[in-house]
Formats: sequence, structure tokens, C-alpha cells
Amino acid sequence: MIETRHLSKFYHRGVYALRDLTLTVEKGEFVFITGPSGAGKSTLLRLLLRQELASEGELLVNGQDLATLSRPAIQEYRRGIGFVFQDFKLVPSRTVLQNVSFVPEVLGVPVAAQHRRAFQVLKWVGLQHRIGAFPEELSGGEQQRVAIARALVNDPALLIADEPTGNLDPDLSLEIMNLFREINAGGTTVLVATHDRELIRFVGRRTVHLDQGRIAEVM
Amino acid sequence: MRLIRYAFREGWTSLVRSGTSTLFSVTAIALAVAVLAAVLLFTTNVERWLDEWSSSAELSVYLDDGTTSDERGAIEDAIDVSGIAASREYVSKQEALARFRDGFSSLSPLAEGLDGNPFPASVEVRLAPGDGVEAALQALARQLITLPGVVDVQYDRDWLNRLAAGLDVVRRLGFLLGLLMALAATVTVAAVVRLSLYSRRDEIEVMQLVGAPVGYIRGPFVAEGVLQGGLGALAALAVLGAGFALVRSLYGTALAQVLEGLPVGFLPPVYWAYLILGGMVVGAAGGFVAARQAV
Ligand SMILES: Nc1ncnc2c1ncn2[C@@H]1O[C@H](COP(=O)(O)OP(=O)(O)O)[C@@H](O)[C@H]1O
Ligand SMILES: [Mg+2]
Repeated sequence: MIETRHLSKFYHRGVYALRDLTLTVEKGEFVFITGPSGAGKSTLLRLLLRQELASEGELLVNGQDLATLSRPAIQEYRRGIGFVFQDFKLVPSRTVLQNVSFVPEVLGVPVAAQHRRAFQVLKWVGLQHRIGAFPEELSGGEQQRVAIARALVNDPALLIADEPTGNLDPDLSLEIMNLFREINAGGTTVLVATHDRELIRFVGRRTVHLDQGRIAEVM
Repeated sequence: MRLIRYAFREGWTSLVRSGTSTLFSVTAIALAVAVLAAVLLFTTNVERWLDEWSSSAELSVYLDDGTTSDERGAIEDAIDVSGIAASREYVSKQEALARFRDGFSSLSPLAEGLDGNPFPASVEVRLAPGDGVEAALQALARQLITLPGVVDVQYDRDWLNRLAAGLDVVRRLGFLLGLLMALAATVTVAAVVRLSLYSRRDEIEVMQLVGAPVGYIRGPFVAEGVLQGGLGALAALAVLGAGFALVRSLYGTALAQVLEGLPVGFLPPVYWAYLILGGMVVGAAGGFVAARQAV
């Protein structure tokens, strides 16, 4: 599903954030990207979300070279990807339900279907009783579950998470990882960047270890 | 349709949340609209007066004391043939004196002291209203002065023309000023919308990452500008209308005397619509500029 060939990214010439990365992730796989802070994990995920362009090499998703996508094609491409960030990025002025349902709304899904779909995923993450609450009324773990519901509402083929448990305590982190495992079991490819070795050991999946932008180890 | 509904709902929320900064842009637009509206208010009223005056404008043909009735008949024929007269009236020497006494009663001792009657008889012509009578009027005046029995021909169209030209200058300057202020208002709206863009940058990032169409990302900010513009224009019209009503209620009678029954009215509703629409366009432009730079 994801294929990188000698992929590099630098912000200043000669200072690589990501260097000569060649990697394949199969459809339906669950892969961890790990490594110390500054290793290039977030950079790789930003390239995958097409927030940035590669400096060298190629990045293909489902055979499409991300460097060649037009603006509408980028929109279309992103609609097939769910994302989860460390800081949740929920909209404070929207309720839990609205935070999730606005995604299908801006993509043109009819109102009734927006709400049905949003309610379904919120129920799936165990938040059906909080749909009228605002993000600030929720705990960190609940907020992250809303973000996960939002990522899933479009039924993405690929889920990308950047330090999704970085702001959560260990118990909640395991809970979130279990959600990811279930999502993956449903056929969605999952890519999680984390520096939490404990968590990786607990889940026990293929792990790509980055260091200073290079692949140091694949387990 | 969905996009518009979405944009205005989000734009309204954003507007309400921005609070004080919104006040700046609404005020800027209100000032621009107020200037335009005031210019329009002034020019539309003076235009109405111009119409009134030109329809009552007169051509006076003064007659020699010894003018015969044949000569007067020829003069009146010439006026009728010209086709620019709405009506005409013969004013004899006695009537002219009586009019002077009526019109200037404070000066009547002066008239009493006069030997005989110094006022000439005249034919007063009320001109038909309308444009393009200028040339015909001048031709008629030139013709009349050559006729036997005519001493002088006077018509008071010149000052009307000058007034109309002056009004045109006022209108142009007013619109120019309004345009400049509209430009300044656009910049203000853009700055205010930029603030709200900044406070919602996380939301914008999320929108971009879910692949939302550009219209859905920019729309709320354009709508926010449109709402600011509409509110500003409404405020300007409300203030101007209230001021107009106040002046009228306080000085209405005094004003009516000065204007001698000339009509005075507020802007017609079509103009309100144009001004509100104008405010919205200015707001939309500001919002679009800001949104375009950011997204
Ligand atoms: N926008 C940027 N401009 C300059 N340097 C950057 C930028 N983003 C990341 N970097 C650099 O790239 C390297 C990798 O960063 P990042 O991918 O965020 O690492 P990680 O997520 O593994 O902690 C770091 O050295 C970081 O300083
Ligand atoms: Mg990072």
C-alpha cells in the first residue's frame, strides 16, 4: 500500500530530517515507526499526508506518486486517510458529535447519514453517552477517542497516528492501542509513530526504528 | 446551497466569537457606507429640487411701454411656435407694480414715492420641463430680442445648469471618498478575518487533512466578511436614518420655511438595498483576501 524509494527530506540543504528511506507497508498491515525525538517520525507522516513534498526519492501510496498530485487529487487522496495527533486537534466550539459529523458534512454526505455515521463510530469508541459534550469537558483519553472516531468516520483505508498516546497515561494508552488493533483487524492499514517502547512491546507488531532520519532497524 | 448554509453558520459563530475586533471592521464599513449614503441623501434631494426648479423656470420678455397689441401678438406667436413653453401669461404694468408691492412689502414706501409706474409690462413664460430645451431656449431668446416692442429677455436657466454641474462634482467627490473608505474597510475586514483565521488554524488544518473542498475551508471566512459588511451598512443606514428623523422633528418647520416647500426625503429603499449589498461586497472581498492568503 505504501512504498518509499530512497525517500529523503531536508529543510536545509545537507541537514536531513529523513534520509534514503526505502520501505514497503502492505495493505492491512500494522506498523510502528519509532525512534528518539528528532528521528524523523513526524516528517514521514507529514509526507504521507501530503502536507509536505519529498526532497528526493519517491513516495507511492496505492501506486500513486504523491509528488504528482494536483490540488483536487490531494483532497481526494486525503479523504481515504484517517489521522490522529498527539494534541487531538478537536474543534473547541463544536460538540463531540459535531466534531465527528462535520467531516462527512464538508464532504457532501446528506445530514441524516452524517449523524448516523458519526454516532456509529462514537458508539464504537464508547462515547455514545457524551455526544453533546464539548471537548474541554472531556478527559484526555476521551478526547483522543473522539479524534479516533473522527478519523474513522470516513472508513479510511489507511490510519496514521503521530504519538497518539503522548498525552495519555499508560492505562489509557493501552486502551487506545486496543482500538487501533481492532481497527486494523477490520482491514485498515495502521501506521503509528511513537517513542513508547512499552507500548510497542505490548502490541507486538512490525516496528521500523528510525535514527537521525535513517532506518536503523526493522523488527 | 449546502456550502452557503455551512459557510454562513460557521461565519456567524466566528463573528460572534471575535467580539471586539469585529467592531472595528463593522465600524470601518459603516463609515464608508455612511459617507456614500450621506452623499446620496444630499444629491438625491438637491436633484429633486432641481427638477422642481427647472419645471418652474421662467422666461421673462419685457415689453416697451408703447408696444402695440399686434406686436404683442407676434411675440406670443413666436413663443407658442417654439414648443418649449408650458404656459404663458401677460403681466401688465399695473400688475407688475402690484406684484412688487406684495413681494417686497417692506420696500413699499419706496414704491409709493415713485413718480408714475417704472415697471415694464412683460410676458412671463413657464418653460416645459425636460432636458435638451437649452438650444431651443437660446434660439427663442435671440429671436424675441429682435422683435419690435421687446426691450429685454431674461431667463434663469444658467444658474440651474451651474447648480447641476456643481452637484455632479459633489457626487463624484463623494463617490471617490466613499470608494477610498471602502478600500480601507476592505483592508480592515481582511485584518479582522485574519485574526479569526489565526484562532482557528487547528480547525483549518483538520479541514485540509480530511480533504475538505477549498470552498468549505474559505467559505466561512468570506461569509464572516459578508456578515460584517451587511451589519456595518445596516448600522450606517440606521444611524443616518435616525439622524435624519431627528433633524426633521427638531427643525422640520424652520427647514420647511427655508426651503419654501421644496420636497425633502430620505433615501429610497432601492438605495438601501444597494448600500447594504455594497457593504456585503466589501466585506466579502476582505474575507476572501484574508482566506486566500491563509489557505
Ligand atoms: N519545518 C521544519 N523546519 C526545519 N526543520 C524541521 C522541520 N520539521 C522537522 N524538522 C527537523 O527534522 C528532524 C526530524 O523531525 P521530526 O520528524 O519532527 O522528528 P520526530 O517526530 O521523530 O521527533 C528534526 O531534526 C527537526 O528539527
Ligand atoms: Mg514527532
